[in-house]
Amino acid sequence: MFQRIYDFVLLFREYVVLSGLLLISLTLLAFNDNVQMRHMRAFTTVAFGLVQEQLSIVPRYIGLRSENNRLRNTLVNLTDEVSRLREARLENIRLRRLLGLNESPLYPLTGGKVVGKNLTLLRNTLTLNLGSRDSIREQMPVIGDGGLVGVVSHVADGYSVVRILLNTDFRASAKVQRSRVDGILAWDGRSLLLNNVAKTLDVKVGDVVVTSEYSLTYPSNIRIGIVEEVQEQQGTLFKKVFILPGVDFVKLEEVFVMNYTPDRERLMLERRSPGQSRR
Amino acid sequence: MEYYLRSALIAVGLMILQTTFVPFLSVEGFLPDLLLIWIVYFAIRRGQLDATVAGFAAGLLQDLLTMQFLGLAAFSKTIAGFAAGYFYNENNTEQTLSSYRFLLIILLCSAVHNITYFGIFLQGSEGMSIPTLMEYTIVTSLYTTAIGALPMFTFARKQGFAS
Repeated sequence: MFQRIYDFVLLFREYVVLSGLLLISLTLLAFNDNVQMRHMRAFTTVAFGLVQEQLSIVPRYIGLRSENNRLRNTLVNLTDEVSRLREARLENIRLRRLLGLNESPLYPLTGGKVVGKNLTLLRNTLTLNLGSRDSIREQMPVIGDGGLVGVVSHVADGYSVVRILLNTDFRASAKVQRSRVDGILAWDGRSLLLNNVAKTLDVKVGDVVVTSEYSLTYPSNIRIGIVEEVQEQQGTLFKKVFILPGVDFVKLEEVFVMNYTPDRERLMLERRSPGQSRR
Repeated sequence: MEYYLRSALIAVGLMILQTTFVPFLSVEGFLPDLLLIWIVYFAIRRGQLDATVAGFAAGLLQDLLTMQFLGLAAFSKTIAGFAAGYFYNENNTEQTLSSYRFLLIILLCSAVHNITYFGIFLQGSEGMSIPTLMEYTIVTSLYTTAIGALPMFTFARKQGFAS
């Protein structure tokens, strides 16, 4: 066996060396973070998306049964939750009317399929089969069955690239749903963190984290995930809050793009006032 | 071993020339590529495998010295070295180096190198288009080929003396 491999390498040594050296060069190229590489990454992701979409017509029989069971369980749970939420909504409407509060707006959603994934890099992305033809624009939020997925970063005619939560360039204003503690959501390359949470504030493991009203890019109250771990750090004023995303990016197949654009009046006002820069 | 050491020293010398002296030869911003000429020479003398490795090493050296776009010169010069290796013929080395065939090989390898290099380098820039890419590729390749005539004439004279 090894002799065969050795003979093969020896026979095609020029090509083996060429492939090895090109691989090293491409790895070095991938370390760059300039306009050219960002353009190349977007182009490659869209190209891979095209290929993957063509291949997706082949049915995936393996795992279909377990997926079916999982979906059935989810359906039962969701049906139960929907009936309880209906009750809660009616109660909410009644109470809001009593207090004279405005309704939170609902944004139209465009459903799409994930046709490409880049989940092994520092700047992870997804490619969707939705593009400018489907009225998708940059900076639109993307949600999945478990909550916030990311934000549209590049748009072509029929495809778009989504910068997901697990991307070092991703930032979002978020809050702990129970205690209303705010922070900035960011991924450091290994963990999803809620930054800028002072040590004195109330954050517990299991707390649900949602987008906050301070965000300009995302509507408020989109579920992000739950608090997985809280670490008290010495020598700083802040806690280290680890978040477990609600979305399983490995299994994610369908998403919805929210037709949400920031309130222009608020945007203009915040831009005029000094020191305002929110995501 | 001594040959490889000498070749490495020549490559370093050419790299220093490329970054210090060659910018003075700039014509409308276009520069010849001395390292590429050396890679073609190396390919004709030593063959495809050595030329591929030499291309990578020279490109990496260029990347490390300029720190402009790490990996780009290594990538394009590896391909150029590999392409140049196809013209290796151990029985015709001297004849190839001292004839116009040498210039044709430089032109071809330079075109391969430049189309790869500028194809990536111009990505995302406002002026990126096929005509711009062609302009960069053709002008730089022709300029490199013109400079390649100097070693060709030197080899031709040497061979004249030898015969």
